[in-house]
Amino acid sequence: MKALTVLAAPEEFKAPGPELFDIPPVVSGVAWLTKPVLLALLSSLVVVVFCWSAFSKPKLVPRGVQNVAEYGYMFVRDQVARPFLGKDADRWMGLLLSIFFLVWVWNLMGVVPFLQFPVASHIAFPIVLAGTIYLLKIYLGMKHQGPIGYFKNMMFPPGLPKPVYILMAPLELLSNLVVAPFTHAVRLFANMFAGHLILAFFSAVGFWFLFEQLSPLGAPVGVISVVMTIAMTGLELFIQFLQAFLFAMLAAMYIGGSLHAEH
Amino acid sequence: MPAMSEQERRPEDDGRDFADAAWSIPSYILSGIILYGGAGWLLTRWTGVAVFTPIGVIIGVVLAIYLVYRKYGR
Repeated sequence: MKALTVLAAPEEFKAPGPELFDIPPVVSGVAWLTKPVLLALLSSLVVVVFCWSAFSKPKLVPRGVQNVAEYGYMFVRDQVARPFLGKDADRWMGLLLSIFFLVWVWNLMGVVPFLQFPVASHIAFPIVLAGTIYLLKIYLGMKHQGPIGYFKNMMFPPGLPKPVYILMAPLELLSNLVVAPFTHAVRLFANMFAGHLILAFFSAVGFWFLFEQLSPLGAPVGVISVVMTIAMTGLELFIQFLQAFLFAMLAAMYIGGSLHAEH
Repeated sequence: MPAMSEQERRPEDDGRDFADAAWSIPSYILSGIILYGGAGWLLTRWTGVAVFTPIGVIIGVVLAIYLVYRKYGR
């Protein structure tokens, strides 16, 4: 369907571009109700139902869904929560597990047939998540280190020669309060945006050379493109998981940094 | 059980430091470029001397790397 709209002009191949992400409202006139919004709602529903069915009546010997979900739980606990939160890890598992599963399902929407749109490739979604973590980070920092102590610990990490602080303090402030939350959101957004474009490009090339303009010279290019589409989908599956992991990991890192002052 | 958690704590602390450093580097370098590159750009605007902007960017990157080195390195 996507390929058809991209290849509307029959004579010349047009590579898919940012217009892929300009999605009209589902119901005309209701501007906010778009496909990504529906997919985000669906993702939340998937995560809620998955966790509910896994953990609502937990058995001592896990089976079925609970078994699968416990693997996810253990992964988040051992790889995300514990390295950054130590003994506080268990208290934050609810938040971190939800973030990890939600972002992963958002990303997976990019390769689910017919849905095929990674929610996070609209930057508003990662911004809301990263912004929530950002507010939480500042709140926790001010609560655990004092309203002034938090910013003092942030701007004056121990172990530097005194005059250097004049140059370093603004750097720390900018890095922690502006650049870090910005990159937190952009990293997820840009990966999903680029991945979706790559998949769209290879499928469009394959469609063009095998269906629109079938020719002896073009057919091998089309075959290569189809193979590349499959290979890139595999890579994309890996990146989708990796980005969900990184997003949750950075959230744990920011929370951990607020609970305890730096070294 | 307590023996296990005791055993787990040590390597985790090292891992935390390493990951902290690894994920802080890009945001420090970006901050250095924005802050001191920005200051250099302002100097260029006021004085008309074009070379202030690249000098500011380089100073920012150097300071950011030095900061990471002092905080996490050695």
